[in-house]
Amino acid sequence: MNPALSFENLSQRYGRLEALHELNLTVPRGSLYALLGPNGAGKTTAIHVLMNLLAPSEGSAAALGVDSTRLGPAELAQIGYVSENQKLPGWMTVEQLLAFCKPLYRTWDDDLCRKLMRGFDLAPERKVKSLSRGMKLKAAMVTALAFHPRLLILDEPFSGLDVVVRDELVRGMLELADQDEWTLFISSHDLEEIENLVDRVGFLNEGKLLLSEELDQLRARLCEVEVTLPTDAHIPDEWPAAWLFPQASRNVIRFTDSDYNEGASAALVARIFPEATDSSVTPLSLRSIFITLARQSAGAAAKEV
Amino acid sequence: MLPFKVQFRPGISPYRQIIYAVEKSIVCGQLRPGDPFPSVRVLSQTCKINPNTAHKAVADLTRRGLLEVRPGIGTVVAEAPRALPRERSVLLKEDLEHLVVEAKRVSLDLDDLLAAVEAHWNRLTSSRMADSAAETLKEKP
Repeated sequence: MNPALSFENLSQRYGRLEALHELNLTVPRGSLYALLGPNGAGKTTAIHVLMNLLAPSEGSAAALGVDSTRLGPAELAQIGYVSENQKLPGWMTVEQLLAFCKPLYRTWDDDLCRKLMRGFDLAPERKVKSLSRGMKLKAAMVTALAFHPRLLILDEPFSGLDVVVRDELVRGMLELADQDEWTLFISSHDLEEIENLVDRVGFLNEGKLLLSEELDQLRARLCEVEVTLPTDAHIPDEWPAAWLFPQASRNVIRFTDSDYNEGASAALVARIFPEATDSSVTPLSLRSIFITLARQSAGAAAKEV
Repeated sequence: MLPFKVQFRPGISPYRQIIYAVEKSIVCGQLRPGDPFPSVRVLSQTCKINPNTAHKAVADLTRRGLLEVRPGIGTVVAEAPRALPRERSVLLKEDLEHLVVEAKRVSLDLDDLLAAVEAHWNRLTSSRMADSAAETLKEKP
């Protein structure tokens, strides 16, 4: 079966600036995928190519099995897309906006639409241009969810919104939870919001995809290790490449193990620190994982120069 | 509102955390046989977890007999299931051995360990007894 979306060797240039460099990424159907990365990493560019708002400089993208440059009404009627700065016709009321969108989708669900309006606390008679940023985004979200999209694409939906609105948006998108099959592709740097929501993450930095992996696997692989020594600690000469950012303070050495494996890692710690009195392993939050990857790629870039 | 308490800790798979929270609520009597259990959608919305995770957790709890699906009603907490022999043996062998190793590693003596086990046992049992006592009072005219 076709993946929900994919990028193949996609490079995107704006003049001399290369916003994306040979992006290869596949999101299987039914997956909830987060594309993470700092500002300017190329996340929005990738989504614009995917939605055919930009023609690829090189390579290609496909959504629901169709090349992005050939997306037509049949595919667009199954894709919900909301971007951070969603443009909406300001002169319409919310009710008019919904009435305008409804005929475009054969699968539009009035009950779901009403439920979302209630959940989002949206007033149908308000003019779109009079809505706050959060309200506008919620209105856009109703138009993207009410037809049970098979693919939901959200570009930085949470940025600049307060926690209450973020919570409402997550609940809103999870109205789709009963649906047989739907795929989420979300770009974000609000990690707490999506920590337990997504099952796969990709990490994009300066136009390059550094990894794309199942979150459970990433969680199992990355840990913080703390080793306690009987004397003042110094970082030994033999140091495994997978152990990142060692820090020594008094008799404790702390580092991030990027290739953790219960038995093998304990044995390695015992070999390198035969005199250790204690060692502990703590799992990392998505936020710490994100920071680790960003620092790691910044370090690698510095070495290349 | 969810009929059990779960406070997510980062870095641990939410699936395991949900399962544990439900098991704990059942042994404490916070969740009783016949109590309705939230749907996958409500569970995933309330906890902000992946619907697939919620689905997997409910399926696992149902398979192990802690929840049951009643046609026309939905998912409910099952009559206290007999633990599988394999589950008991895992607890009595592997889990207990793990506990003893940890206790010895931090140089606890056996009395301290037994006292701590007893305290936890009583804490979980007493909340259940307090609940059922309250229930008995309520039933009296």
